[in-house]
Amino acid sequence: MIGKAKEPRPADKTKPPISFRFLGRRVASFWIDWILFGFIAYCIMYLLNYYWYTVSVAWYGTLILPSWGWPLVIIGTFEMALLVRSFGHSFGMRILGVTLANADRSRPTWGQRARYYLASHLSILPAGIGVWLNPRRPWHERWSDTYLQPIARRDEWIAPPPPWYRTVWGITMFVLIAITMTLAWHISEVSLRTLFTEADKAARIWRGLFTPDFSHLINDYPKPINDSILGALIETLFMALLATVFGALIAFPVSFMGARNIMSGSRIRMGIFWIVRGFFNVFRSIESILWAMIFAIWVSYGPFAGTLALLLHTIAALGKLYSEQAESIDHGPVEAVQSAGGGRIQMIRHAIMPQIIPPYLAFTLYRWEINLRMATVISLVGGGGIGRLLFHFKRELKWSDVGAIVISIAVVVWILDYVSGRVRERIV
Amino acid sequence: MPNPRGGRIRLSPRTYLIMAHLVVDHLTKVYERGKVLALNDVSVSVDKGEFLVLIGLSGSGKSTLLRCINRLVEPTEGRILLGDVDITALPQRQLRKVRRQIGMIFQHFNLVKRASVLSNVLAGRLGYVPTAASLLGSFPKQDIVRAKKSLETVGLAEKMYVRADELSGGQQQRVGIARALMQEPELLLADEPVSALDPATSHSVLNYVEEINKQGVTVLCSLHFLSLARRFGTRIIALKDGIEMFDGPPADIDKEKFREIYGEEAEEVEVR
Repeated sequence: MIGKAKEPRPADKTKPPISFRFLGRRVASFWIDWILFGFIAYCIMYLLNYYWYTVSVAWYGTLILPSWGWPLVIIGTFEMALLVRSFGHSFGMRILGVTLANADRSRPTWGQRARYYLASHLSILPAGIGVWLNPRRPWHERWSDTYLQPIARRDEWIAPPPPWYRTVWGITMFVLIAITMTLAWHISEVSLRTLFTEADKAARIWRGLFTPDFSHLINDYPKPINDSILGALIETLFMALLATVFGALIAFPVSFMGARNIMSGSRIRMGIFWIVRGFFNVFRSIESILWAMIFAIWVSYGPFAGTLALLLHTIAALGKLYSEQAESIDHGPVEAVQSAGGGRIQMIRHAIMPQIIPPYLAFTLYRWEINLRMATVISLVGGGGIGRLLFHFKRELKWSDVGAIVISIAVVVWILDYVSGRVRERIV
Repeated sequence: MPNPRGGRIRLSPRTYLIMAHLVVDHLTKVYERGKVLALNDVSVSVDKGEFLVLIGLSGSGKSTLLRCINRLVEPTEGRILLGDVDITALPQRQLRKVRRQIGMIFQHFNLVKRASVLSNVLAGRLGYVPTAASLLGSFPKQDIVRAKKSLETVGLAEKMYVRADELSGGQQQRVGIARALMQEPELLLADEPVSALDPATSHSVLNYVEEINKQGVTVLCSLHFLSLARRFGTRIIALKDGIEMFDGPPADIDKEKFREIYGEEAEEVEVR
């Protein structure tokens, strides 16, 4: 039969039982190791290019290397991969749970490991012939008298393993993380120097922010704004409130269709479950601001566009939170309702709902606060609310007015956050 | 009918149907595609008004048997007859109607913790209230009166509006009993009702169950302590690995039978 492991040959019966099933893991772990070192090599080349211009690499397009560049990289990473696999258990091997060992599960000696390393060249380089001819035990394993074994389980340990910094996979992982962080630092163009030397540009802004101009708190600003700070804040608050309330009302029934424990049973119900879950995931990944861009064109600029954008995201986010809550309830009352003769709807209403209402309310209040903060910036792309004022004055470089608006926003958000926190404390 | 000599009874099927209230006929339950045999060809015949106690080690099939009777767990083979109705063959609608007549109390009480005691007890009437009305949470006035009476029966009348999780374990189990009483059942299943309670409270809870039994409700109860089984049961059935090991009056269980049921190293523990 395809895929079925055959019994070991009779000569092997004298040895303790060993698994022979690891062709897939062997190949996969080797590729993981090779690609891992390839990535490290790429990071090194990128950083070299950035600092020393010795090897020119244009990272966004084709890699331009001198003629000896590519072969060096490929052979170098190949050698590194083989090296770490022979002298420890490498990252790829660790992920897939295999390691090199003797027949009696002891660690191979240095001599064995060296033989494994050398033999694997002969085995893999000619198009992997050593592996294909003997998938269960390739040439390099035979010549070094080792086996590829599953990593010992915890109940088989006879001594604790060495700490990570003394293992091959641990050092590899450390190098990987360090070099990835360095690469990230460069690609994000982090420059602490700029942050500190250009501080005088910010001085103007700070001066304005710390001398806020509250003259238009209640009086309207002149054209083109025609609104006061307080008026715009109220508009923002109501945008968020509307989006939250309607979002919660719509998400509530829909979330039951996204809860696995309610929808399990027939295929049709599970199909609906997957559709609803998919809907939640997709619409949640697209932030409100992006939705606002679409709605600003659809229903034209203004608070309605912003509200719709917040509404869509709220339905998806609350729906996901609600359905996760519905899945994590105590099953006991459900059994009790069923044994008393209740049907599915009664089960939802009397066993599930009483358990989930307080967390639902908590989520909804939290969502209101998030929507308020999002609403303050949604006018950047055409929504309504106080962001409109904020960006107008930022464009006109009137930092005192900007300061007044920022402080007002902060005060309102802080108050709402405090109140909702206290209410949530009480109901949960 | 209890057999004074103990052991399994073999009556003809017709005799079962004439005399018994609940008949379990060759019940088998298999889990995980044949790997776990929870119940192995169990047959029991229970008369009206009996207090039948199920004993056995954990995992011997007591819970599974009780849950198969009201089909919270679907049996793999066999039949269950309540009166003359074959429960195992019923479609969903009729099953819900029959479940109304079978009350159940649980080891971990299965109350809605945040809800009030009244709310929990009213849930017992859900089989009788139409779906639309229960969506709004409105129960007929009669049911609320019934709930008050149930709570008086178990001695918790003054705790009616208290949150369920503010009660002690014994009180919560009594609320569970009140909920089961609301169904006005003819059969009461008790799945280890006192396993989570201390000895004194266990006695008090089982006293309430005994009172219900004296009013004519057949009780099937699974217990861990043999002393409680002897004190309250009129008949004992012992399970081991899903097989019936003993069926008879409590007095017939001597040390040898005890070792057979519970294993060679078991010692009897008194619960006073």
